[in-house]
Amino acid sequence: MLLLQVIVGGLLLGAIYALFSSGLTLIWGMMNFINFAHGEFVMLGMYVALLVVVWLGGGPATFGFAAAVALFVLGVIVYASLIRHVTRGPMLAQILSTFGLALLLRYTAFWIFSANIVSLPQTSLGGTLNILGILVPVAQLVAGVTAAVLTVAMHLFLTGTTIGSKLLAVAEDRNAAMLMGIRPDRMQALAWGLSAASAGIAGALMAISYPWSPSVGETFGLMAFVVVTFGGFGSVPGAMYAGLIIGLIQALSAFYFGPIYKDIVVYGLFVALLWFRPQGLLGKA
Amino acid sequence: MKGTIALGLVFLAYPFVLSNAFYLDIGVALLLAAISASAWNIVGGYAGQVSVGHCMFFGVGAYLPLLVYQHWQLPPIVGVPVGIAISLVLAILVGMPTFRLTGHYFSMATIAVAELIRLVVSTWDFAGAAIGLQGPAVGRGWYDLTFRGELPYYFIFLAVLAILLFVTWQVQRSRFGYYLRAIKAGERAARSLGVPVRRTKLYALMLSAAFTSVAGSLYAIKTGFIDPDSGFGILVSVQMVIIAALGGAGTLYGPLVGAIILIPLQTATNTWFGGGGTGLTYILYGGIIVVLARFEPGGLHEMWHRIAPRFMRGRDAA
Amino acid sequence: MLLSAQNVSKEFGNLRAVAGADLSIDEGEIIGLIGPNGAGKSTFFNCLAGDTLPTTGKIMFDGVDVTTAPPETHARLGIGRTFQVPATFEDMTILDNVMVGAFLRHPHRADARDHALKVLDLVGLKDRQEMRARSLGTPGRKRLEIARVLATGPRLMLLDEALAGLTPAELQQAIALVRKIHETGVTLVIVEHIMEVIMTLARRVIVFNQGHVIAQGEPQQVVKDEAVIEAYLGRGHRNWRKRG
Repeated sequence: MLLLQVIVGGLLLGAIYALFSSGLTLIWGMMNFINFAHGEFVMLGMYVALLVVVWLGGGPATFGFAAAVALFVLGVIVYASLIRHVTRGPMLAQILSTFGLALLLRYTAFWIFSANIVSLPQTSLGGTLNILGILVPVAQLVAGVTAAVLTVAMHLFLTGTTIGSKLLAVAEDRNAAMLMGIRPDRMQALAWGLSAASAGIAGALMAISYPWSPSVGETFGLMAFVVVTFGGFGSVPGAMYAGLIIGLIQALSAFYFGPIYKDIVVYGLFVALLWFRPQGLLGKA
Repeated sequence: MKGTIALGLVFLAYPFVLSNAFYLDIGVALLLAAISASAWNIVGGYAGQVSVGHCMFFGVGAYLPLLVYQHWQLPPIVGVPVGIAISLVLAILVGMPTFRLTGHYFSMATIAVAELIRLVVSTWDFAGAAIGLQGPAVGRGWYDLTFRGELPYYFIFLAVLAILLFVTWQVQRSRFGYYLRAIKAGERAARSLGVPVRRTKLYALMLSAAFTSVAGSLYAIKTGFIDPDSGFGILVSVQMVIIAALGGAGTLYGPLVGAIILIPLQTATNTWFGGGGTGLTYILYGGIIVVLARFEPGGLHEMWHRIAPRFMRGRDAA
Repeated sequence: MLLSAQNVSKEFGNLRAVAGADLSIDEGEIIGLIGPNGAGKSTFFNCLAGDTLPTTGKIMFDGVDVTTAPPETHARLGIGRTFQVPATFEDMTILDNVMVGAFLRHPHRADARDHALKVLDLVGLKDRQEMRARSLGTPGRKRLEIARVLATGPRLMLLDEALAGLTPAELQQAIALVRKIHETGVTLVIVEHIMEVIMTLARRVIVFNQGHVIAQGEPQQVVKDEAVIEAYLGRGHRNWRKRG
């Protein structure tokens, strides 16, 4: 029974990983650009949730929405002021741009919020459910299911709507998209907004059940790298499956080896992936 | 040539001109930072393969001397070649799979492996776990390299820096160096000219790793202490990158220039802001890196070469 | 026979860019590779250069199977290529650009430098050796690329629209340069849209359309070939000719 609980918990957290990793892989596939500050976007989402609760007394729906909007705006601003200018340039500039941004965001958060570990006060999602003998905290269940739904929604948005197709068109062939009247610049800004928003909501969802401090950004960022590599370059469905699997592996590692080793196993898996299957689950060789 | 000699003389004279312990401290820190950044520069600057987890080599180089002392009472210096050997293995572990993929994989892998090692070391009792390791409090002989004052360290570090810069200069002039620059300038074109891209990148990483390891060893020997954060923390990597990039990544003296500017600046901000200073320093670092990336990725070296001609022209016109 | 391609195809998913192309080149020839846009000649060209992996077929160079060999191996064996969009090393000097090529057969700096200077002299860029590559216009960059490849000492050179975008005077100079290179013993495969280049330089022309080789032969013959004219002008041209 305990094992099943661990599995369920791992999958629920994995769904949240899937959500923010989808955002990262969207940008990667579209612009061949890795956002080294993506983990910090998640971290900021968590703090937005905290501020909304503390200042406005809002519930999960409120702070989830707030995190989405706030990070969407941040994503667009980051694209317009920074990313757009470095994509045409040397690799050093590209990597340093978001790497520096990550530092900036992380240490500003340290400065504003200090290194203390915080958590949200009890929300309406307290309590534990007993499903077929498995004890699942309501908060985790809601967060995980919401994340899963949002990730699927993102995938459907990209593949099913007109504007989603335009985004994918720019990812596929920028010049061809331009000839079709699509504006790559606008689409890329939108993608950055979506990507950051996915990170923001994921953070808000995670804040419901887990405590955090500004240093979590570094861990989430690395987690996202592993998930997107495992899922395959630019593949949102891949990130979905990979997120769940990584969440599961992490939970099982914590269960069998101890909580200290859960991240070690995941990073070790990453190295193994690079050696033996860098294209991941759904990527092309 | 004349410039190099002049520079050398300045550095040789420095500790005698500014013999205050405070200035000597800065000088030693500056030299160490210049060594680390110059080592990073070989793979990150010349070859354009941006490692953001170089602390893995630094940490290995820092831990080994204190490990051999702690467990087998050997002089710490014995750990230096062992550190280099392990760093070379790490370089191969990270570089071999990722250098056949695009650059992003390499950068991601460097962060992941560095963090992986930090976590492992912080739970491994043999390596001192979270507490870390200490070196000899008092030297048993000259071979323990535990000097009272900073002066001997200053000259050892200066010698190592000189060797590193000499090696880099030789690389720059050799086929290997040209191939590195070609890879940075255009991998596809380089390949079509017969450059063995993957192998060349790997050699650059290994050379860089070896010297970074030495830098770590020097740090541990001088400080007499190491722990997971001071060895494998991300800020160690950040400092290498920002110093090299600020001065001019891919140039011989860029990292040294970066160190000359940033280390005194860092000391100043740390002193002014006290405890909160470290936090602010890294906000500043983050900001500097973003500004560099956005406006002047070539660093001060590039900026100088852009601006200097205008001064010359002005003089002629007058 | 220096280079032979047998039944080379390249598929990108459902798209068949090249379908069963055959080619054989003897040492010392100048081959022209022409065809409308999207005809597959660039893809075929990239297969010959080792940049693209053919889906089927075999490519042999001087008795060595190079079908799956990477570009580095091609260069070492003696196949050099230029790029349709010049890929010079922008921030390096013109001399350094060529030295990268020269280092292939001249591992020592002094030798590489001497060789590079000789090549720059041949190409006419020697006086600008210390300038950055980015200071050149497109024609200059194309010339630099040719110099750079030439420095690797190739036996076969693949030129990808290396003479495009030149003024008439520049074009004559470029044609003369290509002839000079040929005289040093290099076999050439030239992809071009400019008919003058093909007609004056190529001894044999191969025409691509929709992934197939539709005609081969001397320039004068190929130009009159019905299939070739149709490829360029479309089926409707016959009606125009009747009306004319």
